Amino acid sequence: MFAADKVVGSEPNVGHGSEKMNRSGARIVMEALVREGVDTIFGYPGGVVLPLYDEMLNWPQVKHVLVRHEQCAAHMADGYARATGRVGVCLATSGPGATNLVTGIATAIMDGIPMVAITGNVNSWAIGKDAFQETDIQGITIPITKHNYLVTDIHELPQVLAEAFYLANTGRKGPVLVDIPKDVFTALTDAEFPTTISRRGYVVAGAPDPAQVEVAAAMIAEAKRPVIIAGAGVLHSGAMDELLALAETTQIPVINSLLGLGSFPRNHKLSVGMMGMHGEATGTLAVQEADLVMGIGIRFDDRLTGNTNGFAPKAKIVHFDLDPSEIGKTVSPVAFVLGDLKQSLAELNKLVQPTTRPEWDAQLTEWKQQYPLIVPEGRFLTRTVLRGLNDHTKGQAIVATDVGQHQMWTAQFYKMERPRSFLSSGGLGTMGYGFPAAMGAKFARPDEEVWAIAGDGGFQMTLQELQTAVEYNCNVKICLINNGFLGMVRQWQELFYDNRHSHVAMGSPDFGKLADAYGVKFFRCSRAEDLEATLQGASNHDGPVLCEFVVEMEENVFPMVGPGATNSSLVMDPDLEDSAAAHEAGAFETTHAGAKH
Amino acid sequence: MSSHQHTITALVQNEAGTINRLVSLFRRRGFSLASFNAGDCEDPGFSRLTFIVNGDDSTVSQCLKQLDKLIDVVECEDLKPELSVQRELALIRVEPTEEQRQAVYNVVNEFMARTPRANVNCIVVEQVSDVSNLERLIKALEPYNITEIVRTGTVAMKVEE
Repeated sequence: MFAADKVVGSEPNVGHGSEKMNRSGARIVMEALVREGVDTIFGYPGGVVLPLYDEMLNWPQVKHVLVRHEQCAAHMADGYARATGRVGVCLATSGPGATNLVTGIATAIMDGIPMVAITGNVNSWAIGKDAFQETDIQGITIPITKHNYLVTDIHELPQVLAEAFYLANTGRKGPVLVDIPKDVFTALTDAEFPTTISRRGYVVAGAPDPAQVEVAAAMIAEAKRPVIIAGAGVLHSGAMDELLALAETTQIPVINSLLGLGSFPRNHKLSVGMMGMHGEATGTLAVQEADLVMGIGIRFDDRLTGNTNGFAPKAKIVHFDLDPSEIGKTVSPVAFVLGDLKQSLAELNKLVQPTTRPEWDAQLTEWKQQYPLIVPEGRFLTRTVLRGLNDHTKGQAIVATDVGQHQMWTAQFYKMERPRSFLSSGGLGTMGYGFPAAMGAKFARPDEEVWAIAGDGGFQMTLQELQTAVEYNCNVKICLINNGFLGMVRQWQELFYDNRHSHVAMGSPDFGKLADAYGVKFFRCSRAEDLEATLQGASNHDGPVLCEFVVEMEENVFPMVGPGATNSSLVMDPDLEDSAAAHEAGAFETTHAGAKH
Repeated sequence: MSSHQHTITALVQNEAGTINRLVSLFRRRGFSLASFNAGDCEDPGFSRLTFIVNGDDSTVSQCLKQLDKLIDVVECEDLKPELSVQRELALIRVEPTEEQRQAVYNVVNEFMARTPRANVNCIVVEQVSDVSNLERLIKALEPYNITEIVRTGTVAMKVEE
């Protein structure tokens, strides 16, 4: 009845013996990669994928990067995908190899990253018998993949692989896992790849309903204080030009979600930067005062909205997205436009009229002046480093962050000028992501300057990839912020747990000796005066560089909206003196201060 | 909005893991599943499923959208009772005393149920009906020592006006 019932105890369809059946499963995997234009894959060999690794030697056009841990294969594939818009591919053996991919796959699904993960499994006749290195990776990854497959019939493999790439990179993008038993790699088939892909019930969003676009245009025409919140959907759809045209015609300020950074040039006069829990005050305040909020390719997640009961209290919300399940999931829009964003915004642009908004513009300018992001001078802070990195690269490098304080400060101080230049685990919040993701981006776009920004905590989760970087001369620059703490956790303990530090002080090895052991160029910098010279030294070196910035230990990220609080109660930087009266700096309103970070 | 039961029907493509994927969705997103039923349908390689879901309208709407997003799901719909036929099959084993046996058969006749198997110890009562009728039958049999109940969960078919 159900296909799952057929697996256990059934004979695999191995296809041996026919003269027409001349291609192995391993060869079909390599053919699929070439057909899909994959030039680089990230993987780690093991018992059941030996037939594939043997076949790989015949396919020099596909570069295989040998990682040091499978989690990083997934993160590199993720970085490759974010930096290019193409599908990233990772590969692992059965059992622990497959389970090590899980964090990377979960990172990708949360942020809608196109990825194909290929895993080997034990022989199909051994599945379900607790064979050596057997694990149910299909079952494990059901909740964290867009779709997944266990292929027990060699004749289905070409169809499945073609479908996997198609699903990964169409519609709401995401990771697709294909689990292939060892005997399917060696079985033979004459099955061809399909020329077209279609699945009943799978509809890729296209042009929007004109009536929905007309409603949105009418809302814009009526609005006095509109804002756009642009998210990663704009990048996924490639709708950056349409967004720019919309904003410039209607003079609507553009706020970004964390992952929307890069979808709108940060130095544009209409750019307000990130909003939300640690967003810039201007964007957060503007949404609270707006009479129209246009959410474009965002999912109104909790870090952006704060307590939804107090989100955008004066505004009508119109939501642009391609995924019907995002409409009304966390906030209730009064209108929505469903469809591919590039097409939706192009249609909208035909209907909107050139407008000026002097009063609203003046209000935003006032907020920007009143609540600027500040870097206290005469100290050496994470902010000092990240502002310096922005100045050094002029916002033109690709930056990949880890998770925590440095991630938020990067979002604040690094002015992404170009799409696909900011790689960060926004949804899952995966520590250890930044360095391998930066490597994936560098493999994909070798001509770009690529910086990984990591804290001392996250870097110690995946630093073994230094060896991979050395072996492939992967020319990434690592901006390692060392404050001796898990900074964001310490900040929450300080603010919400009576400053009781519980297991947040983080010891580190001597990073200089570590870099030396790996053969990586190393700089250590602990003074603002040496910052630019250090960054320049890193840029000048042809090869991976580890730059350790030893910063002040206790520095907090502001502005901040407390957990469970509404965005109206954001707390300004205590160093920002003028803001104290207006927003009672330091006083957190939280409905449940013990909320999980 | 008040919580009440919705009947969702879904046509799905059968692959390895399909049922797991469907049920996993209810678990991980916290949708309250009262029953589900799955079986072959008119299309080879496809199955039709019926889910009984508790929730307010917005929760069930989100549930439908999430189901529809699954690649295996071809189509799904929240069926209105007046535009559908909804049935459940139940097998109820009763172990009445000698003196109660005729009373059991009286109940069976009253509900137009069947007794596919009976022996000196027990009577198996079979009923196919809507859920409220089924529950009235079970209530009527309660005095006669019900020892086991097996129910299929609701199956539902949309019927146009």
